[in-house]
Amino acid sequence: MKVQKLFGTFFMLLLTTVAMSQEKTITGTVIDQTGFPLPGVNIVVEGTSNGTQTDFDGNYAITGSVGQTLLFTYLGQKTERRTIGASNVIDLQMEEDAQALQEVVVIGYGNQEERKIIQNVGIVKQEAIENLQVVSADQLLQGQSAGTQIVNASGVLGSAAVIRVRGVNSINSGSQPLIVIDGVPITDTATNTLNRGGNTGINPLSFVNPNDIESLTVLKDAGATSIYGSRGANGVILITTKKGRKGERTTVTLDVSTQFSESTDVPDILTADEFRQFKSEIATIQNGGVTVTPESLGLGAIGSGGTDWLGGVQRTGISQNYNLGVRGGSEKTSFFFGLDFQDSEGFIIGNNQQRAGARINIDTQVNDWLKAGMNLGITNNRLNRVGIENNINAPFTTAFLQSPVVPAFDDDGNFLQSGSFIPNIFARVALNTDELKTFRVIGNAFTEISPLPGLTWRSEFGIDKLNLEEFVRQAEFNTPGGLAQQIWVSEDRWLTNQTLNYTNTFNDDHTLTILAGLNYEETLRTRSNIQSTGFLTDDLRNLGSGSTPQVLNGDRFPSRLFGLFSRASYDYKGKYLVEGSIRRDGSSRFGANNRFGYFWSAAAGWVLSEESFIQDLNFFDYLSLRASIGTVGNDRLGTFPSLGLFNAGGFGDYNGQSGIVPAPNPENPDLKWEESETLDIGIKSSFLNGRINFNVAYFKKTTSDLLLAQVLPPQTGFTNINRNVGEMENSGWEFELSTVNIRTENFEWRTNFNLTTIDNQVLALNEDAATDPQGRRIIDGPIQRAIEGESLNNFFLIRYVGINSQTGDAEWLDANGNITTNPSTADRVVTGSPLPDFSGGMTNTFSYKGFDLSVLMNYSYGNDVVIDGLRFADGNDAIGGIVNVRRQNLNFWRQPGDNAFLPSPNSSTFNLFNQRSSQQQLDASYLRIKNVTLGYNLPQSALDRLGGIFSGVRLYVTGTNLLTIKADEMDGIDPEVTDDIDPLFQGESFFTAPQAQLYSFGARLTF
Amino acid sequence: MKTMRIITIIFGLSIFISCEDQLEVNPEDNIETTTVFATRGSINGAVVGIYSKNQSGDLNGNPQLMSDFMADNINFVGSFPSLQEIDQFETLATNATIDNIWLDAYELIGAANNIIVNLPAVDLIDLSDAEKEQFIAEAKFLRALTYFRLVNLFAQPFQFSGGTNLGIPLATQVFTPESDLSDFQLERSTVNEVHSFIEQDLLDALAVLPEDNGDRAEAGAARALLARLYLYREQWAEAADFANQVISSGEYALAPNYDFYDDNPTSSEHIFVVINTPTDGPQDESVPGSDEVYVNFFNPAPGGRGDAPFSQDLIDAFAAEPGDRRFDELTQAATDAGGNNTFFTTKYPDIVNNASDGMELRITEMYLIRAEANLQNGSSVGDTPLNDINLLRDRAGLADLTTVDLDAISLERRKELCFEGHRRMDLLRNNLNLRPGGGPESAPGANKVIFPIVDDEIVNNPNITQNPGNF
Repeated sequence: MKVQKLFGTFFMLLLTTVAMSQEKTITGTVIDQTGFPLPGVNIVVEGTSNGTQTDFDGNYAITGSVGQTLLFTYLGQKTERRTIGASNVIDLQMEEDAQALQEVVVIGYGNQEERKIIQNVGIVKQEAIENLQVVSADQLLQGQSAGTQIVNASGVLGSAAVIRVRGVNSINSGSQPLIVIDGVPITDTATNTLNRGGNTGINPLSFVNPNDIESLTVLKDAGATSIYGSRGANGVILITTKKGRKGERTTVTLDVSTQFSESTDVPDILTADEFRQFKSEIATIQNGGVTVTPESLGLGAIGSGGTDWLGGVQRTGISQNYNLGVRGGSEKTSFFFGLDFQDSEGFIIGNNQQRAGARINIDTQVNDWLKAGMNLGITNNRLNRVGIENNINAPFTTAFLQSPVVPAFDDDGNFLQSGSFIPNIFARVALNTDELKTFRVIGNAFTEISPLPGLTWRSEFGIDKLNLEEFVRQAEFNTPGGLAQQIWVSEDRWLTNQTLNYTNTFNDDHTLTILAGLNYEETLRTRSNIQSTGFLTDDLRNLGSGSTPQVLNGDRFPSRLFGLFSRASYDYKGKYLVEGSIRRDGSSRFGANNRFGYFWSAAAGWVLSEESFIQDLNFFDYLSLRASIGTVGNDRLGTFPSLGLFNAGGFGDYNGQSGIVPAPNPENPDLKWEESETLDIGIKSSFLNGRINFNVAYFKKTTSDLLLAQVLPPQTGFTNINRNVGEMENSGWEFELSTVNIRTENFEWRTNFNLTTIDNQVLALNEDAATDPQGRRIIDGPIQRAIEGESLNNFFLIRYVGINSQTGDAEWLDANGNITTNPSTADRVVTGSPLPDFSGGMTNTFSYKGFDLSVLMNYSYGNDVVIDGLRFADGNDAIGGIVNVRRQNLNFWRQPGDNAFLPSPNSSTFNLFNQRSSQQQLDASYLRIKNVTLGYNLPQSALDRLGGIFSGVRLYVTGTNLLTIKADEMDGIDPEVTDDIDPLFQGESFFTAPQAQLYSFGARLTF
Repeated sequence: MKTMRIITIIFGLSIFISCEDQLEVNPEDNIETTTVFATRGSINGAVVGIYSKNQSGDLNGNPQLMSDFMADNINFVGSFPSLQEIDQFETLATNATIDNIWLDAYELIGAANNIIVNLPAVDLIDLSDAEKEQFIAEAKFLRALTYFRLVNLFAQPFQFSGGTNLGIPLATQVFTPESDLSDFQLERSTVNEVHSFIEQDLLDALAVLPEDNGDRAEAGAARALLARLYLYREQWAEAADFANQVISSGEYALAPNYDFYDDNPTSSEHIFVVINTPTDGPQDESVPGSDEVYVNFFNPAPGGRGDAPFSQDLIDAFAAEPGDRRFDELTQAATDAGGNNTFFTTKYPDIVNNASDGMELRITEMYLIRAEANLQNGSSVGDTPLNDINLLRDRAGLADLTTVDLDAISLERRKELCFEGHRRMDLLRNNLNLRPGGGPESAPGANKVIFPIVDDEIVNNPNITQNPGNF
């Protein structure tokens, strides 16, 4: 009824229009370059609001008068104009816009037309991410961009991902890239929160609503990053949030989804009775065959019950996501307004997160020379944390290791003490509180003044204000006397960017752009950390109720940065392009003798497709060559790395008297940034009417002045002195291929594929570094060893061979490659690498009528992981034999010919079996179906039937981490692990909680 | 429009100029090395800081734990590989636990050297010469205490070859960025040289230190440590004499009961105690409260790890003479980390804050030293060995002995001082195997009854000599 009324009105209007003008009706058919009709092409009479769309057969009808121009626009096609002449029919074949490359891309302190970019940047556009349903923004980058590797630490909510742009570029300073949100470089101090095992902290990107993001740009080569000077060496990720659109109808997008979360894969461990059987069988064999019962081992009788710890710490987490976006603008003002609420349950008990966020982006053209605007995002987050990795409070770790015969509850359902230092994890999670609350505001306000044609002065003031409060309350049952701890951190940064930009084209052929600017930032981190013990009851909750309060930390860390920078780009006819940039950075972190650093880059490009000899080939739509060279720095050195200090407070006090003690590092006034010099060469191409795009880049990045802690002789009383002495090189290839495999009237299949190879080599360590027997300098760790001349990351372990099927002994190789049953640490050799030979991602998108399907995969090949926790979960004797083991341990050697996992219980190697060796090193190559999204967009007819309220309705289902192809030995273990963001500990884990497998269902309504 | 342009330029320039000077930022929560000697307060703070260093669990806590489980007092059942190595006499130079002892010790020594070397030249109005000398004396006492701990752990005892064997390097200088590194790559002095260096420090200290100095080092502490040094060196007369000086000073007295172990630093029992409180602990930010986490090992779950219960041998020793209050009042029955029912000491009970006090020098040890030295020397300085021993047995609720011999004194010493870190040296210096029925690996003089020189020292000091053995 209502629909009929609407149609009636429409018809009336049409009649009125026709009656009122001299216009005629133009009809026609629009087809694409393959000759198929193109539905949904927008057609407007230029300069009017009169418009229509083609129907399913590509037909349209529109009224207009002679002399007016029709404008045909369609996403991915070149915009066409046709002037209305005598004919009443205008048919049109649209051409594919070979270069969506016309688009403008965000780069450091500015924008650049994509076809004129000679920097090496990875661009993740809105199309690639708008349909991805992710928990945090870093996942938007996963598998999308060559040279950018994201390793999720675990499936624990809030856990940080390890993000590497072109590999590891530092040894002791951070190797995480600089993240810039709408021009504001955000802080990412990992130690702002309490350590919960591992060394990964809280994800800095969990403060950005992924739905607010319009695009991401990864700056990779020096040409792109040197404008960020002393902070660009690890790459820069520019995040641009959604802006309004001028002169467009306001659209409201409401996205609602529900998500179910489970663990991907967990190890198979023994049940209580299997554990009793296993222990009793082994004890019997060791007892010369005389039966030893489980009871006599204190494990209780077979059938006397036990606890499924691993089952108990997992659950199906249910999450709700609500997202509202309002976008629009008038002729002069545009705005975006976003609202976001996410209520998530992890698949691990006790792990919950609630995030609420809001965003306002607004800008207005005040008059012809002044533009002003503001971008502001606010996030409020509440996270219930759980332990991870080698931490007795980590649900997964403890559930793996806790003996299955230990009861969790008594007959009345009360918690029982476990009786060992491995706690009753159910009680820990249920009775303790561990809540992290964060509030963060990131935003900037700007004005743009154009005093002269082509000249723009942009003035930006930005803030990044982070408030963090973490509250821990341990109950009497778990911690006698109880314990409360509260830590407050505020990390505030304010900054200003002042840039002058001049662009002009001379004689139509010479385009010159000059940028000059300054950047000043002040950051202040303030921390209070208070603990209180001695509580009468668990009902007294807070610090003040404990008998013994203590201030663990109360301190402030100020730092300042002042940079001047300039960039000049010139091109001739868009064919020959050159660009140079320079930045001078001063930082309070650098030593007094090295306060200012200079960073520069030079780049050149040649757009071959603008040359007639290439155009004559009639093959390339676009082809360019480019090269760049330049330097960038890494300033992640700490707050006062160059000063010699005495520490006060708890460090120096004695029984109530104030004291000071020397800090472990003496002063070094020469201390400065680490510096990387990068060479980058690339080819970009597009051919077959833009159906194939292929880009290749080669890079070589030499990092010198690496900050290394030169170990001092212990007799000095100092541990080490920080000096800029190391040198390292990363080189590699990046390939990006995007293709339109099939395009028919109703069906389209596109593929994006990328692959990266990175070779790392340590060129120099400090002269006094430890050396190996071959005289090479090394940095030694228990699992890895960095060796001068080799990769920074190499697993350095005793080689494990297996169980000798005749003797039942476990066998290893000694340093010379001979079999031994009693290896020592001197037998360690390079056994593997946590760095992949190559890695990358692939996205396939299919669309059929209103349906779209996107399948995102990521992969990594040739890397290993060391799961250190297997030293406990394999073998019989770890921690006095009280811990549970993986199921393969049931296969111990019993008689000659056995192909066993464990040695004979009578073998001298039985208790040596699980010593640290390549037995815990596993092949971590994988191919993972990271994200599958199936969506259905209701057709116009259905929208009409809904009353025309909605301009779009999208229903979708998403699956994350659906399938992982990996080596058999990785059963139950996630290949994407790392328990540490420290470059020296990549690919190591104790027991990382696996990634989450997520299923979500949702709807996106646009009106 | 023109005005606007001018404003633009002026505004732009002003921002440019104002930023350059802002890069000088000073720390708010630390004192720069260069200003420590500028005030009396910070000088006193730097002395207090040496005591704070001495609180480290690696210097007071872990060494005692390890000494008792290397010997026959503790049955170590824990899972930390570095402690297991030590327990099984397989300690390697790379062992992280002993590395921490070595590093923490030389950090303390460096902090003490800073006072001993730099303070004499400091001239401040409110700092008297007497006060300066006392600060230096305190630094010397703490340096001596630490060198003594190191030489006992990392070198064979005096008995091994009359003290001519290698001891440890004796660092006495202060490191600055201008220093010549070779001054800090010294070779090891002999045990005799180390002992006489310690002796000199202590004699210097006791000449200056007051008889009563609150919770800081006093003259009695220097005398008591000298008594122990002479006992270990079998200088019986001096040992008996210095022990007797402490006993007869009137500053200390046997406590009537055993409530002095934790949170009672003012008990008359204590000559020098490492006071740990919840608020002055953290040497390491990652460990909340005090970092004396060895408390975890001595206590059962929940709260502790249950790694260091009584050995059967020690249980048997107490059981042989029932009613000993040192067992009845200072133990708790519980399950250890290996799931066995056994006993734990309650001498370090603060599992909540890890802030149990470390027993360093107490008057009971002086009676035991006087008794042993008198017996060995055939003298009775102060009193007879029998009377001294019966005094302690009396407090423990045991009947008087009628005669004593060395075994009786050793047994009394063991029961009195168990879990306080004396047992290993007591067995070694008396030429006894560390373990009942123990093999050659735990015999006196065996390579791994002492620790290897740590890897950090070996790698960074070309002049160092490793101990014999496969490290």
